[in-house]
Amino acid sequence: MNQFVTLFVGGLFLGAIYSLVALGFVTVFKATHVINFAQGSVLLLGAYVIARAHESVGFALAVALGVLAAAVASVLIDAVLIRRIRRADLGTLAILTLGVDILLATELSRRIGTDVLNIGAPWGSDVTEVAGIRVATSRVLAGGVAAVLVAGFWLAFKFTDFGIAMRSAAEDGEVASLMGIRLNRVAATAWALAGALAAIGGLFLTSFPAAGVTGSVGLLALATIPAVVLGGFDSPGGAVLGGLIIGVVSVLTAGYQEELSFLGRGLGGVAPFAVMLLVLLVRPSGLFGTREVTRV
Amino acid sequence: MSRWLGAAVVVVLLAAVPIWFEAFWLQTGLFAMAAIIAAIGLSILVGIAGQLSLAHAFFVAIGAYGYAYLADRIPPLLALVAAVLLAGVAGALFSPIAGRVRGIYLGLASLGLVFLGQHIFQNATGITGGYRGVAVPPFSLFGFEFTGADGLVVLGVPYGPLEKLWYLGLVLVALSLWYGHNLVRSRPGRALATVRDSEVAAATNGIDVVRYKAAAFTVSSMYAGLGGVLMALAFGRIVPESFGLLLSIDFLVMVVIGGAGSVGGAAAGAVFVTALPLILNHYSGSLPLLAEPGSGGVGAAEFSRLLYGAAIVAVLLFARDGLAGLVHRKERVV
Amino acid sequence: MHDLRVSYAGAVKALRGVSLSVPEGSVVAVLGNNGAGKSTLLRALSGTLPASGGAITGGTIELRGKALPRDDAASIARSGLVQVPEGRRVFANLTVEENLRAGGLAAPDRAKRAEARAWVDELFPILRERATQRAGLLSGGEQQMLAIGRALMASPQVLLLDEPSLGLAPKIVERVGEVIREINARGVTVVLVEQNAAMALAVADHAVVLEVGEVALRGTAEELAESEAVRERYLGVSTQAAATGTRVESSAQPLAVEALSVRFGGLAALSDVSFTVEPGSLHALIGPNGAGKSTCLNVLSGVYAASAGSVRYGSHELTRLRPHRIAALGVARTFQNIALSPRVSVLDNLLVARHRLMRSGFLADGLKLPRARRERAEHEARVREIAELLGLTELERPVGTLSYGTRKRVELARALCAEPELLLLDEPVAGMVRDESAAMADAISRARAELGISVLLVEHDMTFVMGMADRVTVLDFGKRIADGTPATVQRDPDVLKAYLGAAA
Repeated sequence: MNQFVTLFVGGLFLGAIYSLVALGFVTVFKATHVINFAQGSVLLLGAYVIARAHESVGFALAVALGVLAAAVASVLIDAVLIRRIRRADLGTLAILTLGVDILLATELSRRIGTDVLNIGAPWGSDVTEVAGIRVATSRVLAGGVAAVLVAGFWLAFKFTDFGIAMRSAAEDGEVASLMGIRLNRVAATAWALAGALAAIGGLFLTSFPAAGVTGSVGLLALATIPAVVLGGFDSPGGAVLGGLIIGVVSVLTAGYQEELSFLGRGLGGVAPFAVMLLVLLVRPSGLFGTREVTRV
Repeated sequence: MSRWLGAAVVVVLLAAVPIWFEAFWLQTGLFAMAAIIAAIGLSILVGIAGQLSLAHAFFVAIGAYGYAYLADRIPPLLALVAAVLLAGVAGALFSPIAGRVRGIYLGLASLGLVFLGQHIFQNATGITGGYRGVAVPPFSLFGFEFTGADGLVVLGVPYGPLEKLWYLGLVLVALSLWYGHNLVRSRPGRALATVRDSEVAAATNGIDVVRYKAAAFTVSSMYAGLGGVLMALAFGRIVPESFGLLLSIDFLVMVVIGGAGSVGGAAAGAVFVTALPLILNHYSGSLPLLAEPGSGGVGAAEFSRLLYGAAIVAVLLFARDGLAGLVHRKERVV
Repeated sequence: MHDLRVSYAGAVKALRGVSLSVPEGSVVAVLGNNGAGKSTLLRALSGTLPASGGAITGGTIELRGKALPRDDAASIARSGLVQVPEGRRVFANLTVEENLRAGGLAAPDRAKRAEARAWVDELFPILRERATQRAGLLSGGEQQMLAIGRALMASPQVLLLDEPSLGLAPKIVERVGEVIREINARGVTVVLVEQNAAMALAVADHAVVLEVGEVALRGTAEELAESEAVRERYLGVSTQAAATGTRVESSAQPLAVEALSVRFGGLAALSDVSFTVEPGSLHALIGPNGAGKSTCLNVLSGVYAASAGSVRYGSHELTRLRPHRIAALGVARTFQNIALSPRVSVLDNLLVARHRLMRSGFLADGLKLPRARRERAEHEARVREIAELLGLTELERPVGTLSYGTRKRVELARALCAEPELLLLDEPVAGMVRDESAAMADAISRARAELGISVLLVEHDMTFVMGMADRVTVLDFGKRIADGTPATVQRDPDVLKAYLGAAA
């Protein structure tokens, strides 16, 4: 029982990080209808900048630089490439971001080589005790940051002019533009936010207990895909919940590896995808996604 | 008449390749042929039927492992056929999801299949040998062994496994292209294209949309399975790592670069994506641009990845119909 | 606006040199049938053409002597030209309050925003009551008020209204008319695009009638209201004597629609509709936009599920069948907005309809077996015959490169290639020039006579069906308001009201 609670809580904290990255995914999708496969390499870019910069400028400024770099890269992807073929179908746009991901990830992993870069977080490998459960300090912080950011997003979406513009554009871009809402600006903002969220996600995904920034960190963002699909692509709340579910599922299956050994080794990595497939069988548009009317 | 003459020249030239070219080129060519076959299948699924799939590597793996496992037990030719059917069954089993889930959800759901497959191939050690992989039994046809054991020499060139496989590859590629061309222009091909453009219109024209989506997945998976068998034979030993997400993405890129829906385009895309890194790597010593691996500069592997990423972006931004579109400049379609 | 020309994707000419000047402070009505170019005109004004694949190919648009940007909807809105889109299109998942805030984003400053807000509250007290509700939960009329209120929040100098009376009850339409007058009284110039001629002419100072991308009539509202030409265009009153009663020999079975209802969420799209299509007859289903005609057709072909009621074709209950099963019974249909495969040749598009009649599959076709080739040849021959019947040539061209009118004919040809017993046609002449629609009417009649099929024709344009239908069913707000021969329906007071508004 105690082990279960420990794993569950650990899963929630990991899930919080996924939620952040997934939230970025959904924000971009809602605002511009793009499945952004480049999210992974943007995440890597953020983490890479932080890891390279922290020794010379200090951790706090390094984080700011990393977030900025990721946000700028993200906006550029939209403004330079996506915007040119804005009305192409989802698949085409998704594959375009895949191409960008390959370019960015190749260059970054070339720079990193076989090194493992230290992210330089001041909390290092500290462990905190929360209600009798020992959790890595970085994960607790991640949970806190995620909670603050998700709440901030929710408030901003709900109450600010920007939030209203964003939601209007997401619901009906054409009418939003008839109301004077500048869609390109909304798009740029959404991409910037997604980049920033990816960088923050990258920071925590490469902090302890993870070893550091390696060339393959971008692949970690793949774990958020089941989260996004689970939640339903156009639902920010769904993305957050999906992230938490995926975190818990992967930590639990990894933790109970021995008991689940009949399902094979390394279950933690694949369980989220299995859960995603099962959910899609029952609900083809995820848990909270918008469904279509026709039946054929 | 001149068309037939041209085709005959091409056939003769391709058939003569093992006599003139060294093993590296044969190996590269075989990988490209395996990719061509599998890519045709994905092109039919994505381009004609309009279903985005990132699971292609999984079905390729089913074909590869299916052959490796069965060829020890039944004649290799039967094993080849059985492996292709097995991949088809796997595709059909996935079709409840493929039939229900649309568009991008399908693409991402199929991504799950690749990861699930990796997990299974790593763990089903009895069949796959786990991460250490499994040896692929050589092909043989009615007692003719595709090995070097018989000491066959043609025009002074010893014919070993690669040389013999080359011909098997050519035949399989030719059959695949032919079937693909026929299919696209036929009743099922039209039905799939209609499903792609409007499911409602397809259904009101009497096409069972769910069934045809499943059929598209099945046929495409069978192509993948055949490509997998050839790939396994070319590798000689297969490990799960070869059939991961990266391979799936490779296939999608082949289809996009070639021009989705074009059988010939998929073949061209497959050659580009498969052969480019191998050739760059082969000549990395003599190309001044490229650095030695590990020296910090842009190495052959990275250079080909960059080229490949850039090709995707360039094709999507500037030539949406891919290589096929560049060859057949068609009238602009609304 | 001067000599405006617009085309879609280089192929379809939607506006051919339209000039219109709207005096400051006036209300100008733009009238015309479906496909006359009204929406295109508004899209050109509001800068939303590119979103639908269109482009201005000539002419100028100026607001107070300053040229407007062509494709930047947001800056056009911010410069004071604000559009209320057709079909309301409120942000359904946002609350009423948030919808109004979204409109206010284009307002020049905070003071203007507050001023506009007070005005909207005064004009539409109901919106204040419903402020915290999701806009999607409002009734159609309330949504229209919200859409207008949302646009007013931007403090427009010119307000464009696209079909504000669409699908609304006569009482509410009257209220919309009053609101337009009140808005105009505050100095806002209004451009009103309407199919409801009576309502539009009642509030407008000037009016133009568009027909297939050109100005057909223009004048003051009074002049046009008196005009015979307008009456004819809307009611088909003076068209030639109907050639009805020419029922053909047919193998079709009767199609009986009984007490059919369809609901989407809380919205009733069809309620309790009944009619019967007799074998071999040409039955028209007409009604204003939003009356539920297309919904009805979608249920008949199995695309939408019925909420209640039954549709029987002979002994088959269609509401329980999936679309391809219905097609297998010999029921074919066309789509209003053309559902052909654009990159595929005309011939292959037509062959799709032969799907249910052909047998070859993945094996026979992929291996090019002789029987597959033989089958293909037989069916291709028949398809070529039908194409000829409809005057289609160039069967190898991709459909996407053809003109709109030709594509409409391909759409009809495809349905005929299915060798149907019952043909469902969804607005076959929408957006066609008069000559083209006459040719289409001729093609439909000829196909019916030669192939012996029943036809159910959904049409918005009353004049078109009057000359050819055996029987007419009229829908309005999802209910059947009339059913009978064209002559009786044409004189039915309810029908007049539905088409011309309360004033008729």
